[in-house]
Amino acid sequence: MSSHSFVVYEEQVNQINAALLRMIKKAEAKCALLVDKDGHLITRQGFTQTLDTTALAALLAGSFASTKEIARLVGEPEFSVLFHQGKKDHIHVSLVGERCILAVLFDDRTTIGMVRLFAKETGDRLKEILTESDNKEEPAIDPEFARSAGSKIDDVFKE
Amino acid sequence: MVTINYAFREISCKIVYYGPGLSGKTTNLQYVHDRIPSKSRGDLISLATEADRTLYFDFLPIHVGDIAGFATKFQLYTVPGQVFYNATRKLVLRGVDGIVFVADSQKAKMDENIESLTNMYENLRENGIDLSEIPVVIQYNKRDLPDICSIDELQKALNPEGWVCTEASAVNGTGVFDTLKRITKLVLEHTKRETAVSPDGVPQIGAASAPMPERVDVSSQRAEPVYAQTVATVPNGGSWTQANRSAVAVEEPPPPSGQGADALISSNKITQTGIAHRATPIPRDVVFARQPSRRIRSRQRSFWDRLFGWLTGR
Repeated sequence: MSSHSFVVYEEQVNQINAALLRMIKKAEAKCALLVDKDGHLITRQGFTQTLDTTALAALLAGSFASTKEIARLVGEPEFSVLFHQGKKDHIHVSLVGERCILAVLFDDRTTIGMVRLFAKETGDRLKEILTESDNKEEPAIDPEFARSAGSKIDDVFKE
Repeated sequence: MVTINYAFREISCKIVYYGPGLSGKTTNLQYVHDRIPSKSRGDLISLATEADRTLYFDFLPIHVGDIAGFATKFQLYTVPGQVFYNATRKLVLRGVDGIVFVADSQKAKMDENIESLTNMYENLRENGIDLSEIPVVIQYNKRDLPDICSIDELQKALNPEGWVCTEASAVNGTGVFDTLKRITKLVLEHTKRETAVSPDGVPQIGAASAPMPERVDVSSQRAEPVYAQTVATVPNGGSWTQANRSAVAVEEPPPPSGQGADALISSNKITQTGIAHRATPIPRDVVFARQPSRRIRSRQRSFWDRLFGWLTGR
Protein backbone atom coordinates (compact mmCIF):
# COMPACT_ATOMS: atom_id res chain seq x y z
CA MET A 1 0.00 0.00 0.00
CA SER A 2 2.56 2.37 -1.13
CA SER A 3 -0.18 4.44 -2.68
CA HIS A 4 -3.95 4.34 -2.62
CA SER A 5 -5.63 1.03 -3.15
CA PHE A 6 -6.80 0.54 -6.69
CA VAL A 7 -10.58 0.40 -6.50
CA VAL A 8 -12.81 -0.60 -9.40
CA TYR A 9 -16.56 -0.17 -9.13
CA GLU A 10 -19.26 -2.34 -10.58
CA GLU A 11 -20.63 0.31 -12.92
CA GLN A 12 -17.13 0.92 -14.27
CA VAL A 13 -16.46 -2.74 -14.86
CA ASN A 14 -19.78 -2.92 -16.73
CA GLN A 15 -18.68 -0.04 -18.95
CA ILE A 16 -15.25 -1.61 -19.42
CA ASN A 17 -16.82 -4.96 -20.32
CA ALA A 18 -19.07 -3.30 -22.88
CA ALA A 19 -16.09 -1.52 -24.45
CA LEU A 20 -14.03 -4.73 -24.54
CA LEU A 21 -16.87 -6.71 -26.11
CA ARG A 22 -17.30 -4.04 -28.78
CA MET A 23 -13.60 -4.19 -29.55
CA ILE A 24 -13.54 -8.00 -29.71
CA LYS A 25 -16.44 -7.94 -32.14
CA LYS A 26 -15.02 -5.22 -34.37
CA ALA A 27 -11.46 -6.57 -34.41
CA GLU A 28 -12.60 -10.21 -34.50
CA ALA A 29 -10.27 -11.03 -31.63
CA LYS A 30 -10.61 -14.07 -29.36
CA CYS A 31 -10.55 -12.38 -26.00
CA ALA A 32 -9.36 -9.35 -24.08
CA LEU A 33 -8.02 -8.91 -20.57
CA LEU A 34 -7.65 -5.74 -18.55
CA VAL A 35 -4.89 -6.09 -15.98
CA ASP A 36 -3.40 -3.60 -13.55
CA LYS A 37 0.34 -3.01 -13.62
CA ASP A 38 0.83 -5.05 -10.46
CA GLY A 39 -0.57 -8.14 -12.15
CA HIS A 40 -4.12 -8.20 -10.75
CA LEU A 41 -6.81 -9.08 -13.26
CA ILE A 42 -9.52 -6.40 -13.44
CA THR A 43 -11.84 -7.96 -15.98
CA ARG A 44 -11.91 -10.20 -19.06
CA GLN A 45 -14.14 -10.71 -22.03
CA GLY A 46 -14.37 -13.23 -24.88
CA PHE A 47 -13.28 -16.86 -24.89
CA THR A 48 -11.25 -17.05 -21.70
CA GLN A 49 -12.67 -20.27 -20.23
CA THR A 50 -9.65 -22.34 -21.18
CA LEU A 51 -7.13 -19.75 -20.04
CA ASP A 52 -5.55 -19.42 -16.61
CA THR A 53 -6.28 -15.71 -16.56
CA THR A 54 -4.82 -15.12 -13.07
CA ALA A 55 -1.42 -16.42 -14.11
CA LEU A 56 -1.71 -14.72 -17.48
CA ALA A 57 -2.37 -11.39 -15.78
CA ALA A 58 0.68 -11.71 -13.52
CA LEU A 59 2.93 -12.72 -16.42
CA LEU A 60 1.65 -9.98 -18.70
CA ALA A 61 2.32 -7.41 -16.00
CA GLY A 62 5.80 -8.84 -15.44
CA SER A 63 6.50 -8.82 -19.15
CA PHE A 64 5.28 -5.26 -19.47
CA ALA A 65 7.32 -4.12 -16.47
CA SER A 66 10.51 -5.62 -17.88
CA THR A 67 9.83 -4.06 -21.28
CA LYS A 68 9.42 -0.72 -19.61
CA GLU A 69 12.79 -1.17 -17.95
CA ILE A 70 14.34 -2.08 -21.31
CA ALA A 71 12.82 1.11 -22.74
CA ARG A 72 14.36 3.15 -19.97
CA LEU A 73 17.77 1.61 -20.63
CA VAL A 74 17.65 2.56 -24.30
CA GLY A 75 16.44 6.06 -23.49
CA GLU A 76 12.70 5.70 -24.17
CA PRO A 77 10.23 6.64 -21.46
CA GLU A 78 8.09 3.59 -22.17
CA PHE A 79 7.21 1.12 -24.94
CA SER A 80 3.47 1.52 -24.91
CA VAL A 81 2.70 -1.45 -27.17
CA LEU A 82 3.98 -5.03 -27.04
CA PHE A 83 3.25 -7.71 -29.59
CA HIS A 84 3.87 -11.43 -29.20
CA GLN A 85 3.55 -13.43 -32.40
CA GLY A 86 2.85 -17.15 -32.22
CA LYS A 87 2.14 -19.84 -34.80
CA LYS A 88 -1.63 -19.56 -34.45
CA ASP A 89 -2.36 -17.13 -31.66
CA HIS A 90 -0.92 -13.73 -31.03
CA ILE A 91 -1.13 -11.21 -28.21
CA HIS A 92 -1.27 -7.46 -28.50
CA VAL A 93 -0.52 -5.68 -25.24
CA SER A 94 -0.97 -1.95 -24.78
CA LEU A 95 -0.83 0.52 -21.97
CA VAL A 96 -4.08 2.06 -20.70
CA GLY A 97 -3.56 5.22 -18.69
CA GLU A 98 -1.01 5.05 -15.91
CA ARG A 99 -2.10 1.91 -14.12
CA CYS A 100 -3.53 -0.65 -16.51
CA ILE A 101 -2.61 -2.94 -19.38
CA LEU A 102 -4.94 -4.15 -22.11
CA ALA A 103 -4.10 -7.54 -23.63
CA VAL A 104 -5.91 -8.75 -26.74
CA LEU A 105 -5.57 -12.36 -27.88
CA PHE A 106 -6.30 -13.02 -31.53
CA ASP A 107 -5.60 -15.53 -34.28
CA ASP A 108 -5.30 -15.51 -38.06
CA ARG A 109 -8.97 -14.66 -38.63
CA THR A 110 -7.97 -11.04 -38.19
CA THR A 111 -4.87 -8.92 -38.63
CA ILE A 112 -2.53 -7.08 -36.32
CA GLY A 113 -3.55 -3.81 -37.96
CA MET A 114 -7.21 -4.28 -37.09
CA VAL A 115 -6.41 -5.27 -33.52
CA ARG A 116 -4.06 -2.38 -33.11
CA LEU A 117 -6.59 0.11 -34.44
CA PHE A 118 -9.42 -1.01 -32.20
CA ALA A 119 -7.20 -1.62 -29.18
CA LYS A 120 -6.05 1.98 -29.37
CA GLU A 121 -9.60 3.26 -29.67
CA THR A 122 -10.74 1.08 -26.78
CA GLY A 123 -7.70 2.02 -24.71
CA ASP A 124 -8.69 5.69 -24.92
CA ARG A 125 -12.21 4.86 -23.81
CA LEU A 126 -10.97 2.69 -20.93
CA LYS A 127 -8.66 5.45 -19.82
CA GLU A 128 -11.66 7.76 -19.45
CA ILE A 129 -13.59 5.19 -17.48
CA LEU A 130 -10.67 4.45 -15.16
CA THR A 131 -9.97 8.14 -14.57
CA GLU A 132 -13.47 8.40 -13.11
CA SER A 133 -12.52 5.61 -10.74
CA ASP A 134 -9.36 7.43 -9.65
CA ASN A 135 -11.37 10.54 -8.81
CA LYS A 136 -13.71 8.73 -6.46
CA GLU A 137 -12.98 8.45 -2.79
CA GLU A 138 -12.25 5.03 -1.44
CA PRO A 139 -15.13 3.33 0.31
CA ALA A 140 -14.81 1.59 3.62
CA ILE A 141 -14.18 -2.07 4.13
CA ASP A 142 -16.40 -3.86 6.59
CA PRO A 143 -14.75 -3.65 10.02
CA GLU A 144 -15.40 -7.33 10.46
CA PHE A 145 -13.15 -7.99 7.50
CA ALA A 146 -9.80 -8.53 9.21
CA ARG A 147 -11.39 -10.34 12.12
CA SER A 148 -13.16 -12.91 10.01
CA ALA A 149 -10.06 -13.07 7.82
CA GLY A 150 -8.03 -14.37 10.75
CA SER A 151 -10.13 -17.47 11.26
CA LYS A 152 -10.48 -18.05 7.53
CA ILE A 153 -6.72 -17.89 7.03
CA ASP A 154 -6.15 -20.37 9.86
CA ASP A 155 -8.62 -22.64 8.15
CA VAL A 156 -7.07 -22.47 4.68
CA PHE A 157 -3.41 -22.48 5.74
CA LYS A 158 -3.52 -25.49 8.00
CA GLU A 159 -0.81 -28.06 7.37
CA MET B 1 -1.26 -1.77 -3.67
CA VAL B 2 -4.38 -3.69 -2.73
CA THR B 3 -6.80 -4.00 -5.63
CA ILE B 4 -10.45 -3.88 -4.63
CA ASN B 5 -12.85 -4.94 -7.36
CA TYR B 6 -16.42 -4.15 -6.37
CA ALA B 7 -17.85 -5.70 -9.52
CA PHE B 8 -16.56 -9.15 -8.64
CA ARG B 9 -16.38 -8.36 -4.91
CA GLU B 10 -12.71 -9.27 -4.85
CA ILE B 11 -9.73 -8.05 -2.85
CA SER B 12 -6.33 -8.92 -4.19
CA CYS B 13 -3.07 -8.47 -2.27
CA LYS B 14 0.52 -8.94 -3.36
CA ILE B 15 3.05 -10.54 -1.03
CA VAL B 16 6.70 -10.76 -2.02
CA TYR B 17 9.26 -13.20 -0.60
CA TYR B 18 12.57 -11.37 -0.60
CA GLY B 19 16.02 -12.54 0.46
CA PRO B 20 19.48 -13.58 -0.67
CA GLY B 21 20.08 -16.28 -3.27
CA LEU B 22 19.42 -19.86 -2.16
CA SER B 23 17.83 -18.75 1.11
CA GLY B 24 14.67 -20.77 0.39
CA LYS B 25 12.13 -18.34 -1.10
CA THR B 26 11.06 -20.63 -3.92
CA THR B 27 11.08 -23.59 -1.51
CA ASN B 28 8.58 -21.72 0.69
CA LEU B 29 6.24 -21.29 -2.27
CA GLN B 30 6.69 -24.87 -3.40
CA TYR B 31 5.76 -26.16 0.04
CA VAL B 32 2.68 -23.92 0.19
CA HIS B 33 1.72 -25.07 -3.30
CA ASP B 34 2.10 -28.74 -2.36
CA ARG B 35 0.12 -28.49 0.87
CA ILE B 36 -2.78 -26.20 0.05
CA PRO B 37 -5.81 -27.89 -1.51
CA SER B 38 -5.92 -27.27 -5.25
CA LYS B 39 -9.29 -25.51 -4.99
CA SER B 40 -7.61 -22.80 -2.88
CA ARG B 41 -4.67 -22.14 -5.15
CA GLY B 42 -3.64 -21.74 -8.76
CA ASP B 43 -0.60 -23.20 -10.46
CA LEU B 44 2.88 -22.31 -9.28
CA ILE B 45 4.61 -20.49 -12.08
CA SER B 46 8.39 -20.34 -11.98
CA LEU B 47 10.34 -18.21 -14.38
CA ALA B 48 13.62 -19.98 -13.72
CA THR B 49 16.89 -20.72 -15.47
CA GLU B 50 17.72 -24.23 -16.64
CA ALA B 51 19.58 -24.72 -13.38
CA ASP B 52 16.33 -24.00 -11.49
CA ARG B 53 17.48 -20.65 -10.22
CA THR B 54 14.77 -17.99 -10.25
CA LEU B 55 15.27 -15.71 -13.22
CA TYR B 56 12.38 -13.30 -12.85
CA PHE B 57 9.87 -14.47 -10.25
CA ASP B 58 7.84 -17.38 -8.96
CA PHE B 59 4.14 -16.77 -8.72
CA LEU B 60 1.51 -18.57 -6.68
CA PRO B 61 -2.08 -17.27 -6.45
CA ILE B 62 -4.03 -18.29 -3.35
CA HIS B 63 -7.78 -17.92 -2.93
CA VAL B 64 -8.62 -17.66 0.73
CA GLY B 65 -12.33 -17.55 -0.02
CA ASP B 66 -15.12 -15.26 1.04
CA ILE B 67 -14.20 -12.87 3.85
CA ALA B 68 -16.89 -10.39 4.89
CA GLY B 69 -18.44 -10.59 1.44
CA PHE B 70 -15.17 -10.25 -0.48
CA ALA B 71 -13.42 -13.04 -2.33
CA THR B 72 -9.93 -12.55 -0.96
CA LYS B 73 -6.88 -13.48 -2.98
CA PHE B 74 -3.19 -13.37 -2.24
CA GLN B 75 -0.60 -13.35 -4.95
CA LEU B 76 2.68 -14.73 -3.65
CA TYR B 77 5.81 -13.74 -5.55
CA THR B 78 9.46 -14.46 -5.00
CA VAL B 79 12.32 -12.39 -6.30
CA PRO B 80 15.51 -13.71 -7.88
CA GLY B 81 18.03 -13.69 -5.05
CA GLN B 82 21.18 -13.51 -7.09
CA VAL B 83 22.86 -10.14 -6.93
CA PHE B 84 23.05 -9.51 -10.67
CA TYR B 85 19.27 -9.83 -11.14
CA ASN B 86 18.62 -6.60 -9.30
CA ALA B 87 16.73 -4.98 -12.19
CA THR B 88 14.09 -7.71 -12.23
CA ARG B 89 14.05 -7.91 -8.44
CA LYS B 90 13.11 -4.26 -8.29
CA LEU B 91 10.25 -4.78 -10.73
CA VAL B 92 8.71 -7.55 -8.64
CA LEU B 93 8.52 -5.22 -5.64
CA ARG B 94 6.19 -2.81 -7.43
CA GLY B 95 2.80 -2.57 -5.80
CA VAL B 96 3.77 -4.87 -2.93
CA ASP B 97 1.40 -5.10 0.04
CA GLY B 98 3.53 -7.22 2.36
CA ILE B 99 7.05 -8.63 2.43
CA VAL B 100 8.49 -11.83 3.83
CA PHE B 101 12.23 -11.50 4.16
CA VAL B 102 13.68 -15.01 4.05
CA ALA B 103 17.07 -14.95 5.78
CA ASP B 104 19.55 -17.80 5.63
CA SER B 105 20.50 -18.73 9.21
CA GLN B 106 23.91 -20.15 8.32
CA LYS B 107 26.82 -18.22 9.77
CA ALA B 108 28.56 -18.07 6.40
CA LYS B 109 25.50 -16.38 4.86
CA MET B 110 25.20 -13.47 7.26
CA ASP B 111 26.87 -10.99 4.94
CA GLU B 112 24.58 -12.02 2.09
CA ASN B 113 21.56 -11.51 4.34
CA ILE B 114 22.71 -8.02 5.21
CA GLU B 115 23.48 -7.18 1.60
CA SER B 116 20.06 -8.41 0.51
CA LEU B 117 18.29 -6.46 3.25
CA THR B 118 20.15 -3.29 2.31
CA ASN B 119 19.25 -3.93 -1.32
CA MET B 120 15.59 -4.36 -0.34
CA TYR B 121 15.58 -0.95 1.32
CA GLU B 122 17.14 0.61 -1.76
CA ASN B 123 14.73 -1.04 -4.17
CA LEU B 124 11.71 -0.09 -2.10
CA ARG B 125 12.90 3.48 -1.94
CA GLU B 126 13.45 3.57 -5.69
CA ASN B 127 9.91 2.24 -6.18
CA GLY B 128 8.60 5.02 -3.94
CA ILE B 129 7.44 2.57 -1.27
CA ASP B 130 7.72 3.60 2.35
CA LEU B 131 8.69 0.54 4.37
CA SER B 132 6.83 1.90 7.38
CA GLU B 133 3.64 1.63 5.31
CA ILE B 134 3.78 -2.09 4.63
CA PRO B 135 3.96 -5.09 6.94
CA VAL B 136 7.11 -7.21 6.97
CA VAL B 137 7.76 -10.65 8.45
CA ILE B 138 11.32 -11.91 8.72
CA GLN B 139 11.77 -15.66 8.43
CA TYR B 140 14.97 -17.24 9.75
CA ASN B 141 15.21 -20.22 7.46
CA LYS B 142 17.38 -23.35 7.46
CA ARG B 143 17.16 -23.80 11.23
CA ASP B 144 17.74 -27.52 10.72
CA LEU B 145 21.30 -27.03 9.46
CA PRO B 146 24.45 -27.15 11.63
CA ASP B 147 26.64 -24.08 12.07
CA ILE B 148 23.84 -21.56 12.20
CA CYS B 149 23.58 -18.24 13.98
CA SER B 150 21.46 -18.02 17.11
CA ILE B 151 18.16 -16.17 16.87
CA ASP B 152 19.59 -13.44 19.11
CA GLU B 153 22.45 -12.85 16.69
CA LEU B 154 20.12 -12.80 13.71
CA GLN B 155 17.72 -10.45 15.43
CA LYS B 156 20.47 -8.02 16.29
CA ALA B 157 21.98 -8.10 12.85
CA LEU B 158 18.88 -8.18 10.66
CA ASN B 159 15.90 -7.01 12.64
CA PRO B 160 16.55 -3.74 14.42
CA GLU B 161 13.11 -2.63 13.22
CA GLY B 162 11.43 -5.29 15.37
CA TRP B 163 9.46 -6.99 12.61
CA VAL B 164 7.58 -10.16 13.39
CA CYS B 165 10.03 -13.03 13.05
CA THR B 166 9.57 -16.73 12.53
CA GLU B 167 11.87 -19.73 12.49
CA ALA B 168 11.63 -22.13 9.61
CA SER B 169 13.07 -25.02 7.76
CA ALA B 170 11.32 -24.56 4.45
CA VAL B 171 12.68 -27.72 2.89
CA ASN B 172 10.67 -29.85 5.30
CA GLY B 173 7.91 -27.30 5.79
CA THR B 174 8.57 -26.23 9.36
CA GLY B 175 7.43 -22.66 9.89
CA VAL B 176 6.32 -22.08 6.30
CA PHE B 177 2.63 -21.78 7.08
CA ASP B 178 3.32 -19.93 10.30
CA THR B 179 5.10 -17.26 8.26
CA LEU B 180 2.35 -17.17 5.65
CA LYS B 181 -0.39 -16.84 8.24
CA ARG B 182 1.38 -13.99 9.97
CA ILE B 183 2.04 -11.96 6.83
CA THR B 184 -1.46 -12.48 5.42
CA LYS B 185 -3.10 -11.44 8.67
CA LEU B 186 -0.87 -8.38 8.91
CA VAL B 187 -1.67 -7.41 5.32
CA LEU B 188 -5.42 -7.72 5.88
CA GLU B 189 -5.20 -5.86 9.16
CA HIS B 190 -3.34 -3.13 7.31
CA THR B 191 -5.90 -3.09 4.50
CA LYS B 192 -8.69 -2.72 6.99
CA ARG B 193 -7.02 0.18 8.76
CA GLU B 194 -6.29 1.87 5.44
CA THR B 195 -9.92 1.85 4.43
CA ALA B 196 -12.11 1.48 7.52
CA VAL B 197 -14.26 4.57 7.90
CA SER B 198 -17.89 4.62 8.80
CA PRO B 199 -20.42 6.59 6.71
CA ASP B 200 -20.35 9.71 8.87
CA GLY B 201 -16.67 9.59 9.64
CA VAL B 202 -16.90 8.03 13.10
CA PRO B 203 -14.21 5.36 13.46
CA GLN B 204 -15.69 1.91 13.11
CA ILE B 205 -15.97 -0.17 16.21
CA GLY B 206 -13.30 -2.75 15.80
CA ALA B 207 -11.45 -0.73 13.20
CA ALA B 208 -8.77 1.70 14.36
CA SER B 209 -9.48 1.06 18.01
CA ALA B 210 -9.36 -2.70 17.70
CA PRO B 211 -6.76 -4.51 19.77
CA MET B 212 -3.69 -5.23 17.69
CA PRO B 213 -1.62 -7.50 19.88
CA GLU B 214 1.06 -8.01 17.27
CA ARG B 215 1.87 -4.32 16.90
CA VAL B 216 4.00 -2.54 19.45
CA ASP B 217 6.19 0.52 19.38
CA VAL B 218 9.82 0.05 18.36
CA SER B 219 10.99 2.04 21.36
CA SER B 220 9.69 -0.68 23.68
CA GLN B 221 11.70 -3.42 22.06
CA ARG B 222 12.72 -5.86 24.74
CA ALA B 223 16.23 -7.03 25.45
CA GLU B 224 15.51 -10.55 24.35
CA PRO B 225 13.88 -11.17 20.95
CA VAL B 226 10.11 -11.41 21.15
CA TYR B 227 9.12 -13.77 18.42
CA ALA B 228 5.96 -13.05 16.55
CA GLN B 229 4.99 -10.23 18.84
CA THR B 230 6.71 -7.18 17.52
CA VAL B 231 6.02 -5.17 14.44
CA ALA B 232 7.41 -1.73 14.11
CA THR B 233 7.86 1.02 11.64
CA VAL B 234 11.07 1.98 9.93
CA PRO B 235 11.77 5.42 11.31
CA ASN B 236 13.78 6.75 8.41
CA GLY B 237 11.94 5.09 5.57
CA GLY B 238 14.65 2.51 5.08
CA SER B 239 18.01 4.21 4.98
CA TRP B 240 19.57 1.58 7.22
CA THR B 241 22.95 0.52 5.92
CA GLN B 242 25.63 -1.94 6.72
CA ALA B 243 27.62 0.82 8.42
CA ASN B 244 25.03 1.52 11.05
CA ARG B 245 24.12 -2.15 11.14
CA SER B 246 27.34 -2.80 13.00
CA ALA B 247 26.39 -0.06 15.41
CA VAL B 248 23.06 -1.74 15.96
CA ALA B 249 24.75 -5.09 16.46
CA VAL B 250 26.85 -3.87 19.38
CA GLU B 251 24.23 -1.60 20.87
CA GLU B 252 22.21 -3.20 23.64
CA PRO B 253 18.48 -2.63 23.31
CA PRO B 254 16.91 -0.60 26.11
CA PRO B 255 15.86 -2.64 29.15
CA PRO B 256 12.19 -3.56 29.43
CA SER B 257 10.35 -0.48 30.56
CA GLY B 258 7.26 -2.29 31.75
CA GLN B 259 5.28 -1.13 28.75
CA GLY B 260 4.06 -4.31 27.19
CA ALA B 261 1.93 -4.75 24.12
CA ASP B 262 -1.25 -4.11 26.11
CA ALA B 263 -0.12 -0.68 27.20
CA LEU B 264 0.85 0.27 23.70
CA ILE B 265 -2.37 -0.86 22.13
CA SER B 266 -3.97 2.24 23.58
CA SER B 267 -0.98 4.45 22.79
CA ASN B 268 -1.31 7.67 20.83
CA LYS B 269 0.18 6.11 17.76
CA ILE B 270 -2.72 3.76 17.30
CA THR B 271 -5.35 6.25 18.41
CA GLN B 272 -4.01 8.68 15.85
CA THR B 273 -5.01 6.31 13.10
CA GLY B 274 -8.60 6.77 14.15
CA ILE B 275 -8.27 10.53 14.23
CA ALA B 276 -6.80 10.52 10.77
CA HIS B 277 -9.78 8.58 9.48
CA ARG B 278 -12.18 10.93 11.19
CA ALA B 279 -10.52 13.90 9.55
CA THR B 280 -11.37 12.57 6.10
CA PRO B 281 -14.98 11.44 6.18
CA ILE B 282 -16.31 9.75 3.12
CA PRO B 283 -19.77 10.77 1.91
CA ARG B 284 -22.48 8.30 2.77
CA ASP B 285 -23.33 7.55 -0.82
CA VAL B 286 -19.92 6.27 -1.86
CA VAL B 287 -19.43 3.87 1.00
CA PHE B 288 -19.54 0.27 -0.19
CA ALA B 289 -19.74 1.43 -3.79
CA ARG B 290 -23.49 1.85 -3.58
CA GLN B 291 -24.26 -1.83 -3.79
CA PRO B 292 -23.29 -3.58 -0.58
CA SER B 293 -24.08 -7.24 -0.33
CA ARG B 294 -26.85 -8.37 1.97
CA ARG B 295 -24.24 -9.70 4.30
CA ILE B 296 -22.50 -6.35 4.61
CA ARG B 297 -25.84 -4.55 5.00
CA SER B 298 -26.70 -6.79 7.91
CA ARG B 299 -23.31 -6.08 9.43
CA GLN B 300 -23.88 -2.36 8.99
CA ARG B 301 -27.15 -2.69 10.86
CA SER B 302 -25.48 -4.57 13.64
CA PHE B 303 -22.88 -1.83 13.83
CA TRP B 304 -25.57 0.82 14.20
CA ASP B 305 -27.30 -1.30 16.82
CA ARG B 306 -24.06 -1.54 18.71
CA LEU B 307 -23.40 2.17 18.35
CA PHE B 308 -26.92 2.98 19.59
CA GLY B 309 -26.39 0.68 22.53
CA TRP B 310 -23.10 2.33 23.30
CA LEU B 311 -24.60 5.84 23.10
CA THR B 312 -27.53 5.00 25.32
CA GLY B 313 -25.33 3.11 27.75
CA ARG B 314 -27.18 -0.15 27.27
